Amino acid sequence: MATDPGAIDAAFYDRLRKHYSEEEIVELGAFVGFNIGYHTFFGTLKFYPMFSPDGRLVDQQESERIYGDAPVSLAATGGGKS
Amino acid sequence: MSGNTLIAPIKPADITDPELKALIDRCKALGVPDETFPGILAHVPSYAKALLRALLMSHAEGGVDHRLKEIIRLQLTRRSGDPYFGALRSTVAKKAGLDEATITAGCDDYERSKLFSEKEKWALRYADQMYMNAASVDADFYAGMKKHYTEAEIMELGAFIALHYGLQVFMRTLAPR
Repeated sequence: MATDPGAIDAAFYDRLRKHYSEEEIVELGAFVGFNIGYHTFFGTLKFYPMFSPDGRLVDQQESERIYGDAPVSLAATGGGKS
Repeated sequence: MSGNTLIAPIKPADITDPELKALIDRCKALGVPDETFPGILAHVPSYAKALLRALLMSHAEGGVDHRLKEIIRLQLTRRSGDPYFGALRSTVAKKAGLDEATITAGCDDYERSKLFSEKEKWALRYADQMYMNAASVDADFYAGMKKHYTEAEIMELGAFIALHYGLQVFMRTLAPR
């Protein structure tokens, strides 16, 4: 959905139904859509996780050093460093 | 297109939750969304209520002109490729004077259009660049926006753009092809 929504067609949904109920598919689809929208928006605001990978509370400067100077969420929209 | 979406919407008569029914009535009155998208979300009533509340609030409430948000919403449907939301129109925006010529101008070459103020162009640019070239929405971009909008208005626009675009992408995958 994030990189090739055109590939999510009837056959794709048929395959999903073999593993998930319609309720679960709607839940997943709405969740994914919500995150597609918000991660890019949040990426433009340049804020970083409050916690390091090992669970320490870190400030934004340290978090930026840990997670990089371009949010990963911008990469799919041509935003991150290439 | 309600009968042909890849996940069928729950029929309105089968939706019994009064809070969800009231939200769907508000959506129908606004015209965005119509009964189809809420009917699909209604497979998960808790999600449906939260998302419909957020859709309605971000689109029809707040400090930014609803007509401008309606143009932005339709501009986003071109980016998301979603025919469903692209076909819908806000009755409130229409009643307030928004016409199709202005919508088209906002979706096309709005930078050169005389129909929009510089302030309105910043909002259109914000939506346009967010999913076309997010890296261009940087500190300089936000500094430019802040000459015309408060930080609260910028967050209102950003959250509106993100929510509507994301759900348009989801709905696009459900469209009959």
